[in-house]
Amino acid sequence: MNTRVAEAVTSAEAIHVNVKTRAFHTADFSVLGAVLLAALGHLMIKAGLNGSTSAAAAHGSIIDRLGAYFSQPYVLLGLTIYGLGTAMWIFAVSKRDISYVFPITALNYVLVTLGGKFLFAEVIPPKRWLGVAVVIVGVALMQSAGRKGSR
Amino acid sequence: MTATIALWASIFLNGLAQVLLKKGVGHSSDQGGAHAGWWFSLLKNGWVWAWGLCFVAATALWLLALSRLDISYAFPLLSTSFILVALLSRLLLGEFISWKRWFAILVICFGVVLIAAK
Repeated sequence: MNTRVAEAVTSAEAIHVNVKTRAFHTADFSVLGAVLLAALGHLMIKAGLNGSTSAAAAHGSIIDRLGAYFSQPYVLLGLTIYGLGTAMWIFAVSKRDISYVFPITALNYVLVTLGGKFLFAEVIPPKRWLGVAVVIVGVALMQSAGRKGSR
Repeated sequence: MTATIALWASIFLNGLAQVLLKKGVGHSSDQGGAHAGWWFSLLKNGWVWAWGLCFVAATALWLLALSRLDISYAFPLLSTSFILVALLSRLLLGEFISWKRWFAILVICFGVVLIAAK
């Protein structure tokens, strides 16, 4: 009887541990959110810079050019989004190993590549698509290797 | 020459910045969000300031390096920061990195190099 109770307790504990290690927490959403916002910020900045084709932006001094860049609404919006992404990143770092969470930011390159293709009609060579696939596989391997090292 | 030094200094500072940030914010539990007090406490945290300074310096050095070097040369080298952060987190924070995690890091680095390829 006692062993049965003990078994039930250990299996309940095992389930609890399982839930603890496998469940998708706010920390995981914030990792993805930080990466997504950083990529979105970069793409918006790029859209703004593409739009700043005035004479000041093309030929002016560094000060004139910076002035032209920062007066673009998309550049300012992009910087704001990037800032929000950074805040989310700080939150994510407080919850996970840095050796786990930092390599995942490579997804940034994947998202920016996709954005370049679909928003700016950039031509992406096949080798780069292969790289995109390899990074995704790497991040999946990272997940299966576990979010937390033993400490 | 100076551009190459700027590039490597940028990569090193960028990696160091992440480890300093981790040192500053510690390791909190999965549950529980961040309240306003937690965010304000970051402003009084020396490690977080060190992260900010390293981040700004790394960005400035990166721009300096990029003005002289081809992006196709500089960009793949960025992936070394994933390995650097893993090494520093082990040395300075005592994070345990399983061989599976090392393997995943190397795969990601390889992918970044491919993305940067012409």
